[in-house]
Amino acid sequence: MDEAARHFNISTEEASALYKELHNRHAFFLEPDMPSIRMAWPFSAIPTDFKVHANDKTYYANCAWDMLGIPVVLHADAVIEARFTESNELVQLEIKNGNIALAAVPGGEDAALSKLRVHFPLPFARWYDDLVFT
Amino acid sequence: MLLFRSEEWIDKWCQRNNLERGEVLTINQVWELSKPWYYNRLSLDYHGRSMEQVAEVFKQAGLVSKFWYIQR
Repeated sequence: MDEAARHFNISTEEASALYKELHNRHAFFLEPDMPSIRMAWPFSAIPTDFKVHANDKTYYANCAWDMLGIPVVLHADAVIEARFTESNELVQLEIKNGNIALAAVPGGEDAALSKLRVHFPLPFARWYDDLVFT
Repeated sequence: MLLFRSEEWIDKWCQRNNLERGEVLTINQVWELSKPWYYNRLSLDYHGRSMEQVAEVFKQAGLVSKFWYIQR
């Protein structure tokens, strides 16, 4: 936040108020009781199970949806390294020319892109009740 | 939103954590949903999305069940 205040030549207090306003408008999501950004969709400020390599950089996504959102928002090809929940295996996906492909997955011939699933635990109307869980 | 190897692993995870199963999409469905949702998110012209626009994105992706209703 100090960096933002310097960049826009405003006081830290003004930056803090603007951060809260942008948080309230779901432009990004602040850490609880801290003036730092946790989620600026689709990017995560903390390491997660969804790592995205694009434009010679590595980013973390907030969730399985956001890992696909990063190449979209960057308008770039990407290689995604993610971890399956419950089976705890690493999987590699490739986004190239607007298409998605399974690049690598351990353990067996039954692995297929068509079998991969994303679970949305809460209905849309409740997403903002608990964003970390969502 | 978590990634699973297959439907079966979602059932195991829900059972182990005593959670109700939510909505489940294929990776291709989520990829297609990501495109209209995120394509202009970093644009200076992006100022958020109205509830009507959210509903339209879901509708275009074929997500029309009560789970995707924009109001409780």
